[in-house]
Amino acid sequence: MNIHLYLFLKLKGSMRVRDLNKVELVKQKAMELLVRIGFEGFTMNKLAKECEISVATLYIYYKDKDDLILQIAKEEAERMSNVMLEDFDPEVSFEVGLKQQWKNRAKCMLENKITSQFLEQLRTSTYQEEVYGTIVSNFKITLGKFMHNAIKKGEINDMQLEVYWSVAFAPLYNLVRFHFDGSSIGGRPFVLTDKVLWDTFELVLKALKK
Amino acid sequence: MEPDFKDILLFKTNIQTADDKNLIAKVMEKHKIKQWTIDQQDVDCVLRIVSPALKLEEVIHLVSKNGYQCEELI
Repeated sequence: MNIHLYLFLKLKGSMRVRDLNKVELVKQKAMELLVRIGFEGFTMNKLAKECEISVATLYIYYKDKDDLILQIAKEEAERMSNVMLEDFDPEVSFEVGLKQQWKNRAKCMLENKITSQFLEQLRTSTYQEEVYGTIVSNFKITLGKFMHNAIKKGEINDMQLEVYWSVAFAPLYNLVRFHFDGSSIGGRPFVLTDKVLWDTFELVLKALKK
Repeated sequence: MEPDFKDILLFKTNIQTADDKNLIAKVMEKHKIKQWTIDQQDVDCVLRIVSPALKLEEVIHLVSKNGYQCEELI
């Protein structure tokens, strides 16, 4: 874990002690609060109250609200992108590689609901550029390489990265969104099952593979 | 490099506007205080200074002398 993640608790007088659990608590509560009330309504005071710590403790680690949001976002984006690359080899066949990607992404999002919703919210905010511009470069390189390998080997047609992403992953993201909402179009109840997930994957594979 | 946490000084102020901040910036420059930030989005306009040498009272005196409220953030 990152050293600057450690939070300090003020104990008797000026002695400050590291408390890792508290750091995780602050991160979790901050994301929950941001998802619940949005970037505008979020304040350091509200967060301190949620965590039952003093505002000063927050300011030891973060300069201001923007600094807090950006630090947490960068750490979480990095952590999530590492999980998404687990057991993934950009040299394998297109079908095997894409399947692994779906497996990793679904697991990652479903097991980290708050983080997923927080990062999704970030995507449509002014923080987007700073977070995604720098931190996830290894992720982009590996997945870019995978796509280019598939094109080179003649497994898929040559296409723009955006087109590829929209066909390859957007359906999965949308199913997860429905699942988190508990309902789909027109309020129909929806639960993402393994069958739905892998049936959709087969359709995506059919669309992309030559 | 990460600052040493005991070197972080925190204050509740009323340094609210861009003009206020400009004025404080000049004060900080004059006293060679380089690592400072103010969270003007926050209701307490938290002033945060990283310095191994400065004391709480010195900062409170300095800011107060220039016409702003300043007390330790607890």
